[in-house]
Amino acid sequence: MSAVIATSKLSKWYGNVLGLSDVTISIEPGITGLLGPNGAGKSTFFNLLTGQLKPSIGSLTIFGEPVRNNSRAFRRIGLCPEQDAFYEELSGWEFLTNLLRLQGYGPSEVAAKAEKALGIVELLADKGRVVRSYSHGMRQRLKFAQAIAHDPQVVILDEPLNGLDPLGKRKLIRLIKDFGREGRTVLVSSHVLPEIEALTADIVLLHHGKILAVGGIQNIRDLIDTHPHIIAVRSSAPRALAAHFVGEEYVLNVHFENSRDSVLFETTNRDRFFERLTRYAAEPAAAVEEVTSPDDNLQAVFDYLVGT
Amino acid sequence: MKTIREIFAFFAFYGRKTRRTQAFFLISLFPVAIAAVFRFHQAMGGDGSFDGMYLFTNVIMTFFLQFLILVLTLFFGTSVTSEEVEGRTLTYLVTRPVPKSSILLGKYAAYTLIVTVLVWIGLVACFLILNFERLGESQTWLVLLRYLGVLTLGILAYGGFFTFLGTFLKKSIMVGLLFSFGWENVIQYFPGSTQRFAIVHYLKSLLPRVMTSRGRFSFLTFRLEPTSGPVSILTLILITAGFLALAALLFHHKEYIYED
Repeated sequence: MSAVIATSKLSKWYGNVLGLSDVTISIEPGITGLLGPNGAGKSTFFNLLTGQLKPSIGSLTIFGEPVRNNSRAFRRIGLCPEQDAFYEELSGWEFLTNLLRLQGYGPSEVAAKAEKALGIVELLADKGRVVRSYSHGMRQRLKFAQAIAHDPQVVILDEPLNGLDPLGKRKLIRLIKDFGREGRTVLVSSHVLPEIEALTADIVLLHHGKILAVGGIQNIRDLIDTHPHIIAVRSSAPRALAAHFVGEEYVLNVHFENSRDSVLFETTNRDRFFERLTRYAAEPAAAVEEVTSPDDNLQAVFDYLVGT
Repeated sequence: MKTIREIFAFFAFYGRKTRRTQAFFLISLFPVAIAAVFRFHQAMGGDGSFDGMYLFTNVIMTFFLQFLILVLTLFFGTSVTSEEVEGRTLTYLVTRPVPKSSILLGKYAAYTLIVTVLVWIGLVACFLILNFERLGESQTWLVLLRYLGVLTLGILAYGGFFTFLGTFLKKSIMVGLLFSFGWENVIQYFPGSTQRFAIVHYLKSLLPRVMTSRGRFSFLTFRLEPTSGPVSILTLILITAGFLALAALLFHHKEYIYED
């Protein structure tokens, strides 16, 4: 399959601040997840892809064409920006139809496409309300609608699931997956690993403006699993709990927290640890009250991977 | 041209729905209120010798020429690009198959139309209130047309300049205010050719001399050394086209980065 999006040594500086460094990547049809903590360079990458920023070094093409100042390219590109910004005095319908007119469609096509897009995101009933009165979830869906309304071949979604409730997230994930299945190239960013996992197995890991890893999500998981994890277990019998795990080959360290009722385990194998913990928790004397993983967030994963 | 038309249609529609337009519409009615008060005063047996045309040319036109069109074009002109950047909506426009120059020119045209309508409504209303005894004279209508023409040229020229300013500077309003009520209001009274560095000089050169030669308020304009009509019109058109071309060029190349 040939690459739809191709970048070569793509770099961007804002004065002395590095936004993106030496990104060479090819993206094919289907859903690709761009994963990275806040400030990793995801939005910079998307702004470069959509021609809003000019590369400091390197090049990028979509369908073999440069994008910046090439307005024709946007017939085939749809962008859902991260920022919660709208022409607030317009209704959802006016917002969408005015943007569709800019795609060059005639009045009947504009109406049909707007109707279809608002139907997809379930906003038809509220199309006449001004955007200012929309809830956050409705605004996110309207942003998505304007990105897909003109049937683009490339859909770029910058943190589309931000701030949505679980039901809203599930609906949008389903819509994005439908788009991917239709053979379009969908690039979606997030700083939340489970969100990306729910969308795709193909991910690009970005950190401090650099690509850390590219490939299947299992590869990233494997990378993560080569590093120790910290798991906190709260129990009314912390000493018994600690004694149960001391000596296991995959447990590197055991610490008692200041509160004395929590034990911190450092393990090289989460799966085996949790398997044993589950068995232990089932014992009447175990008294396990809570299990948390303080480092089970993306920033910690990145910290592991970059060795900080 | 089609893309300019589409952008124009979008912002002519959006612009008239904004609260800013509604607020400025009220401000543009302020001189209408003054004219109505004057007429009411006259009807109630006030100073019968006071001339409506005199009030119109020396007070109302001064308000329109040296205040209203400056304020309106400053806020609408600078907002052509700055409101998109500050509101973070620029993304929606620059990711459409529309050249950036079309975005700028289409939006400028839309906002110029809105400002022109606001100014014309106020000016025509004032004119009719203050001169209704003369409405049967063709000369009266020619005077009105001339004033409308001059103000429209002013809106085009100032709008072009402020569109450039808003594209060039991040905080353009303050500079625009200094230009409007500092530079324009001072330079126009300088003797010799210095006054030709003010846009208002060319606008005043196109007005009937009645405004510049007599009356209680003639001190505002008595130092005018007028430029000929054709040269004034040409200069105003060149100012408009020049600043719009610069703005379009700048907008094409400039990167806009949203602030957190």
